[in-house]
Amino acid sequence: MGESLLDVRLLNKAFGTVVTAKDLNFSLHSGVITSIIGPNGAGKSTLINVLTGLLAADSGEIWFQGREVTREPIYKRVKLGLGRSFQVVNVFANLTVFENLAIPVLALKRETSNIFRSVARLRDVHGDVEKVLNQVGLLDQAYMIAQSLSHGDQRLLEVAIALATKPRLLFLDEPTAGMNPVERTRILETIRRLSQSGEVTFVIVEHDMDIVFSLSERVMALHRGQIIGDGSPEEIRMNPQVREVYLGEEVGHGAAG
Amino acid sequence: MNHYAKYLLVLGCLAALVIIGLVGGPFTLYLATRTMILSIFALGYNLLLGRTGLLSFGHAAFFATGAYGLAITSIHLSVHPLLGIFIGVTAAAILALFIGFFCVRHTEIYFAMLTLAFGMMVFALIWNMRSITGGDDGLYGISRAAISLGVVNIPIRKDYQFYFFVASLFVVSVFIIHRIYLSPFGLALAGIRENHIRTEFAGISVKKYRLGVFTLSGAFAGLAGALSALLESNVAPFSAHWSHSAEPVLVSLIGGLQTFSGPIVGSIIFVALREVLQRFTYNWMLWFGILLLAIILGFRGGVVGSISGASRRYFRQ
Repeated sequence: MGESLLDVRLLNKAFGTVVTAKDLNFSLHSGVITSIIGPNGAGKSTLINVLTGLLAADSGEIWFQGREVTREPIYKRVKLGLGRSFQVVNVFANLTVFENLAIPVLALKRETSNIFRSVARLRDVHGDVEKVLNQVGLLDQAYMIAQSLSHGDQRLLEVAIALATKPRLLFLDEPTAGMNPVERTRILETIRRLSQSGEVTFVIVEHDMDIVFSLSERVMALHRGQIIGDGSPEEIRMNPQVREVYLGEEVGHGAAG
Repeated sequence: MNHYAKYLLVLGCLAALVIIGLVGGPFTLYLATRTMILSIFALGYNLLLGRTGLLSFGHAAFFATGAYGLAITSIHLSVHPLLGIFIGVTAAAILALFIGFFCVRHTEIYFAMLTLAFGMMVFALIWNMRSITGGDDGLYGISRAAISLGVVNIPIRKDYQFYFFVASLFVVSVFIIHRIYLSPFGLALAGIRENHIRTEFAGISVKKYRLGVFTLSGAFAGLAGALSALLESNVAPFSAHWSHSAEPVLVSLIGGLQTFSGPIVGSIIFVALREVLQRFTYNWMLWFGILLLAIILGFRGGVVGSISGASRRYFRQ
């Protein structure tokens, strides 16, 4: 197990009486692909929203690479290397695919406050954008308007924007939802490759149990804002509490097959 | 449109600017100068509205700050036009930075209403600080002194001289704003318009960039105000009134929010239309409103936006 990237201490978040995170304590480790599972309303998306800064925590601390980020604004967390993609397509709809990726690439290079250079002339930006496009297989569509892409390609673009920020830790919220099998394979290959090269540590929220169990090295099961199971895919399959509240028969099948 | 057509168009416009300056009568020169001043106002404003997606109702305050800045400098300090313009623009930018600081953390209707409220406060201040601003009389007797640059003096007193002075500042403004559209900063602004949450998740501080573009557009409003004070040789408090803030909104809408040249074309239509209607109709505001409605509803994406869209479809076939 690698060094600890993200440490969460006594994290709480509630909406009125609905508790979505209750005294959460855990660490995420470098290089370990982790999946977060749980039934609808378990608090998975809320957890990602709190960790990445979209929602403020009620109490508790979030430390990223030894630095407290609990109250840091979103863009600062992104600059530190904490990235995310979204569950629904959340791209720059009326911009080209190239521009969609140029925005995070320029931000990373601290070029976005540049008023007088032309984007078209920044050669190294083109190189970086093409690299990401190549990773997700969207190179041929670089000059199409994002909203004219097929749904699956928009999902790829969604992940690509997150990758373009060069995160150390990347949360993917249902990355394969709405993708066809070819796109799904491509995105899973990309995740494996980047994970093995040690560039990015992935945390994935996913409903597809085949993907969860084939991809992840660690699975965390959430239920009503609490962690009810945390361990290797095998351990989670065998965990009676997880089976009871969430997986039920599905795990039985998986374990048998 | 290909590159050559674009260059030809730009050259044609520059030639037209020069020809108007050389052969135009006083009235034509006056209208053309006003059109260019309104264009500067609207081009800067559209960086905020069309590019970043923020609707401000407070830009008359920055226009008036530029105008009063020049007038006060001219009356009390120095009649040098460049100094007056510099002070006017700087004052407008500082005011925009200050007001923007409170406004940019809000979006949409809240942002628009806050800018409106600040704009009303500025109007009230100008109206009441009689000893400095002249109150409801405004300030008058602003002279168009020659621009002395050490060895040479460039006179701007005559209409055509002032026309060329404004035209050169207009060309410089167009050039700068065009560069901003093509720059990384301009792309970040488009990102904020399209999806401000995603922009933040791309590692960009949306608040800072909104404040940056708000200040920039305030500075261009200030430049327009300072030039208009020189043109009219007086400033009136109603240049700060919130109804004046509607002008760049309308002009940008007429020309096309999502186009670069929209505000220029919009300004031409706006000034020409108002002049004709004021002359030939009894109730010009009514007709003006009806025609604006027809243009805004008839040309989707503005005059420039719909024409360039139509020509793109035509050439693709």
